[in-house]
Amino acid sequence: MKLNKIKNVVLLLLAAAVLAACGGSAAAPNTQLIVLEWSGYEEPSYWEPFALQHPEIAPEYSFFGEDAEAFSKAQSGFQFDVVHPCGSWWGLYVEAGLVQPLDVSRLSNFDKLFPTLAEHGQFDGKQYFIPWDWAYESITVRTDLVDEVPDSWADLWDPQYAGQVAIFDSGESTFLTAAYALGYDPYNTTPEQQEAIKQHLIALKPNLLTYWVDYTEINQLLAAGDVAVGANTWNDAWATLADEGYQVEYVNPKEGRISYACGFGISANSTNVDLAYDYINALIDAQSNANMANDFYYGAANMESVPLLDPDLVDVFQFDDPAVLASSNFQHPLTQEQRQMMTTIWNEVKAEQ
Amino acid sequence: MENKRRLFALITPPSVFLLFFFMVPLVIMALYTLKASSFGPLLPFSFTAFENFFSNPSYFVLLLNSSRLALLTAVLSILLAYPVAYYLVFYTGARRVMLLTLLILPAWISYLLRVLAWKVILGSEGLLNQLLIQAGLIQDGAPILLYSQAAVLITLVYVWIPFAALPIFAAMERIDPRLHEAAADLGASPSVTFWRVTFPLTMPGVASAFFFVFIPTLGEWVTPTLVGGVSGIMYGNLIQDQFGRALNWPLGALMSMVLLVLVGVFSYIFNRFIPITEVPVSS
Repeated sequence: MKLNKIKNVVLLLLAAAVLAACGGSAAAPNTQLIVLEWSGYEEPSYWEPFALQHPEIAPEYSFFGEDAEAFSKAQSGFQFDVVHPCGSWWGLYVEAGLVQPLDVSRLSNFDKLFPTLAEHGQFDGKQYFIPWDWAYESITVRTDLVDEVPDSWADLWDPQYAGQVAIFDSGESTFLTAAYALGYDPYNTTPEQQEAIKQHLIALKPNLLTYWVDYTEINQLLAAGDVAVGANTWNDAWATLADEGYQVEYVNPKEGRISYACGFGISANSTNVDLAYDYINALIDAQSNANMANDFYYGAANMESVPLLDPDLVDVFQFDDPAVLASSNFQHPLTQEQRQMMTTIWNEVKAEQ
Repeated sequence: MENKRRLFALITPPSVFLLFFFMVPLVIMALYTLKASSFGPLLPFSFTAFENFFSNPSYFVLLLNSSRLALLTAVLSILLAYPVAYYLVFYTGARRVMLLTLLILPAWISYLLRVLAWKVILGSEGLLNQLLIQAGLIQDGAPILLYSQAAVLITLVYVWIPFAALPIFAAMERIDPRLHEAAADLGASPSVTFWRVTFPLTMPGVASAFFFVFIPTLGEWVTPTLVGGVSGIMYGNLIQDQFGRALNWPLGALMSMVLLVLVGVFSYIFNRFIPITEVPVSS
C-alpha cells in the first residue's frame, strides 16, 4: 500500500516533468537565439541594437576555439541559429548545406558594407555569409632583436633568423606562405608544386623555434624575446606589443600580406530566422562593428565604422582603403580536398625529424 | 549459488559501463579508419587513410622517436623513483605515510599548470637562465633548454616520478623484514642482500611502474605542444591534429589504432622476455 503510494507520486512527478519539457520546447521558436561563436565576441556592446529591439532575449552562446571545431560541431548536428566562421571555411558550410541563402533586404545595414568584402560571402550568386571582421596575416618582427627586418615571405627562410622564428601551426597558413615565397598561386597548384611546397616547409625548420597555436602564445614568445620573428601573426600581435612599448614592425611583404574576413551565416535548420536577421543586422551596425574592431585591432566590414576606429590603427593597417583587400592575398574559400591536401602536407612536414 | 549471484551483481555494472563506454567507442573508432571522410556514410569502405599512412615513412620515424622518448622517460622515472621509494619504506618509519603524501602532493595540481611551470623555469627569461647568467656561465638569455626534446623529457620525467614511485613503494612494503634478517644471519653483505633479495622482490612493482609511465607517455601530446617546439613533437600531436584542424578523422583513427597495436606488442614483448620472478616466500 505504502509502496504503491510512493510509486504514484513518482509517476505524477515524471508526468509533470514530461509536460514541463514539452511546454518548453513548444514555446521555443523565436524566444531564444543560439550563436556558435568564437569566445570573446559575446560582448554586449557588439550587438547593442539587438538588445534594444529584443530586451527579453539573451543570446545563448556556444563557443569554439578554432574553425575546424565549429565546423565539426555544426556538421555533427548541433542546433544553432547563427555561426561565425572565417572566409576560407564558408564554402564548406555552403557545400554541406549547413547554412541558408540570405535575403539581404532584411538587413538594413547591408548596403553600408564594403562591396568587395560582401562579395566574398556569395556563392552561386547568392549571399550566404555577411562579413563582419577582417584582418591580416603577416610577419611581426622585434626590430631590436634582428640585424635586418625581413621584407618578404621568402625572407623567413633566411639563415640569419635561425631558431628565431615561430610560425602559425596551421596547414592552410603555412601552405599559403610557402606558395607565395616560391611564387606559386596557392589555389591552383600542380602535384609537383605541392611537393616543392612540402620540401620548402621542411627546409624552414632550422629557422623555427616552435609552432604557435593561439595568439596569446605568440605574443608571449615575442615579448619574452624567445623568438624575434612571428610568422602569420594577426594585427593584434603587432598592436599589443607596440602598446606595451616593444620595438616591433608589422611587415608588408613584397608578395603581399595575407588577409581574411570572417562573418555570419544562418543555419539551414534555424527555427529563429527573424531573430537571427535582427542579430546579424545589429552586429554590422556602424557603432557595434567599430566597438569590436577597436577591441581586437581588426578592420570593420561596415564603411561607416571607419571614422569610429582608432586613427593610428587605420593608418597602420589601411582600414579605410578596401583596395588593400584586392592588393593583398585574400584567403579564398577552400574545398574539402584542398584543405585535406594542405593539412596533410603540414602534418608530413611536422612528422619529418 | 548465492556467491555466484553476488559476483554477478558486482561485476555487471562495471562490465556494462566498459562495454558501452570503452568497447563500443573502440569499435566505432576502428570503423572510422575505413571511412572516406570525417563525415558522411561508412559505406562504401575506403582505404585512403591506409594508403596515406603506410606510404609515408615519416609517420613511422616519428612513432619510433616517440617510442624511444617514452622508453627513456619510463627508465629515468624509475631510476629516480626507486631510491625515493626505498628510502621511504626502509628508513622513515612512522613518518612514511606523511612523506609519501608530500611526494604525491604536486600531482593534485592541474597537469597543465605543472607543465607550464617548466616553461617559467626553462624559458629565456626563466629561473634557470637567470641563474646561469648571474653565475656568469652564459651571456644572453637564449632559451637553451625550452622547445626541445630535452625539455619534453625533463618535464615528463618530473611529472611521472611520483606515479613510478607508488607501485615500487607498494612492492617494497610487502617484503617481509625477516628476509633481510635472514640474509644478514647467513652472512650476506647489505649490497648482496639488496641485489639477491630486495631487488628481485620489487621487480613486479618496477614492471607496473614501467607501464604506468610508458603507455600514457607514448600517446602524450600536451607536453610536447607546450615545451617541445619543432624538434620535440610527438606522435600524439599528429593524432590530435587529425581530429582537430585537419578534420581527417579516418587518418586520426588509423593512427590511434596503430598506436594501440604498438602498445599491445610492447606489452607482449615485455611480459614474454622480461620474466618477473615471483620469489616464493614461505612464512
